[in-house]
Amino acid sequence: MVYSITLRFLTLAILWTGLGVLKLENMLNGQFFWQAAAFSVLVFIGIFIEYFFGYTGDKNLLPVVQTIMAIGLVFLVRVNPALAEDQFVWANIGLVLYYFIVFGLRDYRKLEEYQYLWGLAALILLIVTLIFGVTIHGATSWLRIGHLSFQTEELVKVVLLLFMASYLDNNKELLRIGTAQVGRFSLPDKKTLGPFALIGVFVLGLLAAQKSLGTALVFFLLIIFILYMVTERPLYLVISVPVMLLTGIVGYLLFGHVRLRIATWLNPWVDSTGGGFQISQSIFAISGGRILGTGLGNGIGAYQIPHADTDFIFAVIAEELGFLGAMAVICLFIVLVMRSFTVSVRATDRFGQILAAGIGTLIGVEALIILAGVTKMLPLTGLPLPWVSYGGSSMLVHFMLLGLLANISHSSSLTFRDAPIQRRIGGVLG
Amino acid sequence: MSGVRRVALIMVFSFVFLSLGLVYWQVVKADTMLDHPANRRAVFLQERITRGTIFDRNGVVLAQTKVIEDRKVRVYPQREMFQPLLGYATVKYGSAGLEAAKAETLLGFNDISFIHRLQNVFELDRQGNDIVLTLDYGLQKVAYEGLKGKEGAVVALNPQNGDVLALVSQPSFDANTLEKEWTKIINSQGSPLLNHAFAQFPPGSIMKIVTSAALFHAGLDTTELYSCQGSVIINGQTITEQNHKVHGWVNYDLAMAYSCNTYFAEHGLEAGLQSFIESAAAFGFGKQIPFELYVPISSLKNGEPIPSHLDPNLFAASTFGQGQVMISPFHVALITAGVANNGKIMTPKLIDRVLDSKQNIIYESTPEVWLTPLSEAEAAKVKNGMILAVNQGTASPGTIPGVQIAAKTGSAEPGGNRKTHAWYVAFAPAEDPVIAVAVLVEHGGAGGEAAAPIAKAVIEKALKMKEGM
Repeated sequence: MVYSITLRFLTLAILWTGLGVLKLENMLNGQFFWQAAAFSVLVFIGIFIEYFFGYTGDKNLLPVVQTIMAIGLVFLVRVNPALAEDQFVWANIGLVLYYFIVFGLRDYRKLEEYQYLWGLAALILLIVTLIFGVTIHGATSWLRIGHLSFQTEELVKVVLLLFMASYLDNNKELLRIGTAQVGRFSLPDKKTLGPFALIGVFVLGLLAAQKSLGTALVFFLLIIFILYMVTERPLYLVISVPVMLLTGIVGYLLFGHVRLRIATWLNPWVDSTGGGFQISQSIFAISGGRILGTGLGNGIGAYQIPHADTDFIFAVIAEELGFLGAMAVICLFIVLVMRSFTVSVRATDRFGQILAAGIGTLIGVEALIILAGVTKMLPLTGLPLPWVSYGGSSMLVHFMLLGLLANISHSSSLTFRDAPIQRRIGGVLG
Repeated sequence: MSGVRRVALIMVFSFVFLSLGLVYWQVVKADTMLDHPANRRAVFLQERITRGTIFDRNGVVLAQTKVIEDRKVRVYPQREMFQPLLGYATVKYGSAGLEAAKAETLLGFNDISFIHRLQNVFELDRQGNDIVLTLDYGLQKVAYEGLKGKEGAVVALNPQNGDVLALVSQPSFDANTLEKEWTKIINSQGSPLLNHAFAQFPPGSIMKIVTSAALFHAGLDTTELYSCQGSVIINGQTITEQNHKVHGWVNYDLAMAYSCNTYFAEHGLEAGLQSFIESAAAFGFGKQIPFELYVPISSLKNGEPIPSHLDPNLFAASTFGQGQVMISPFHVALITAGVANNGKIMTPKLIDRVLDSKQNIIYESTPEVWLTPLSEAEAAKVKNGMILAVNQGTASPGTIPGVQIAAKTGSAEPGGNRKTHAWYVAFAPAEDPVIAVAVLVEHGGAGGEAAAPIAKAVIEKALKMKEGM
């Protein structure tokens, strides 16, 4: 209890200090006070909800995410106050959604029963988006209903994870051993691998058709890592490398914008006012931060970098908080990803294990790809940084994932406590 | 699921690799990126930071940033008087002069100590540092008014500590209206953007101060009389006196007083090339002058500031400042100040002190010796020659009643059929100099006529101010 309260206090201290500094610098008018107050209340209510429902799962998951979010909210207020108002609303709804999933969802294992429905839902969501969707920044990944537009590929992350976890739980052994012999390798037969591969290929194909290349890359890596974790066959990892290279080369030859991406990645300075503008401005901002940063509100990246409120928000953080602040954000993500894997290892059922590991992998891969893009270590693919970049869809979906993670953690801790000693050991090893 | 642990490891390594990327950009490449031409950080910072004020030594504002209708405007209240020394700093045309050379100080970038940076993190309305110059508004005004309408430069120094008291270059421009009148300024006669005090000219007879040192070092007897015939043929080349005068019997003092070319040519050759070159080097030829602004290196020969060899004709011409000798008025002023200060040239100082936004002194200049080209006795000999030049020689137009000044004229042939450059260097009072001046009027004719009155006015003003204190 004391631990939970301390962590919440630290998180809110970051939020209010950040907003206070922005207020002192006259970059903020009063409108954020009530928003931030509502957020703070929701954060504290969480302690009582956890206490009331007897939450015994991982105590660090939510505070870590709330800290990431506090940093994200402060920077969104700094970069784009108008969008930050919306983001506060999404953050508050997200928190409520999280509490609902942790404590309202009685047993996450029930979700396993709908395995093909999840797969089908993923495909339908993407197809509907492709047909009726709205194109923003070149990617057709938004569905508009009235005033609200929703990025469906975010929701696909949840349903696809549920599909994979349930499917792999049911077919794990077959995938691991393999029945069909191809040369020296034994591969799973068509019947076992078929549906999984089919949905995987369709999802990736549809994303490519929407031109959401970043998300496609995330899903590809997610599928590969999950297959590897479940089957423990390095084959899947090994296969992924030539597949990725081949896809990259085909993409490079077929699409002009992929060629442009690669060219600006290799040398953004040649055309630093045109195609290389984003990435070179991002690098100027990051390098200007040096170790201690320019100080909150003092950077130039917030004005210079296009999409500083979404894909490039990390560059602004790295500039204004410096290497230390950027490392703090990276460390928070490392902690979150590692805690997810811990939840996975401690989970008592395979579905929960696969799902938790999948969520951890997803968050890790997302963060890595966009951060590597912003720092010019990989070609840039537009992706939101979970809980930091502006975006309601991403915020809500990641809270759903976090809710599932906490739910698994909670359930396994209960089973753990009730189980006899032998089973407890077996649970860890199995 | 040991696969989970391996994937976890892959994740951690990837994040560590990512943080190495941050180290690369934020530590290794930070400076390189700041200098990148497409990086507008410096321009943005300048717009956000209020440039410091530039004052003269008595607190007269020379350049100041004011907020006019919500815009920061750099104002130069003295208009043309201190240009192009102060220079300008604009987004459109870049920056020049002191505004460019001391941009980091004026913007407050120079002290990036850890503590200072920490203090700055949450401080928004940044104020750069103020600079107090060694210049004196009163002297600058007299020099400016004297030179206005002509082309040339006036440099006044305190010989005892190297403080630059006045530095005028004409023609100049008004930085307040620079952006509006840019094309007009860059196309007008006499290069107003160029600081003529730092441009190079042949020194003419002023060079005889340097040649004097060569005679002393070679151990020539300067009391010995020499018969000036009005011209002399050296190595087949005829060397003549100015206006074909015949000076008759002269010793060193009289040769200085009458500015006798043949005396210095013949004695210079007698002293030897080595002695001459060493003396020139001792006076700072071939050396970068340690100064806040860039001053080109003075040279004895085109492309070879300190030559290993000079042919006899060129050498003879060099002894009285013709040939290929090139020097800036600023360096000439330093040489004059060296004679005034018993043979020691002090390092010139333009910046007296720097104050941060809270008026704490963060830099204060201290006097230091740059070169010692003459011993005290040698300096006294040159000084006597210069006193005689004032009392009964070419430099007499600079005479001030009641004060003994020491001076030397120069009329340097610029080449072609144009009028000579008029030089006049002086210091006063001769017994304990408080000011040394060098005046150059380009194509002004004889030094005693065009340049002397300006030097005289500056010295009179300086002595009057000294009395008033």
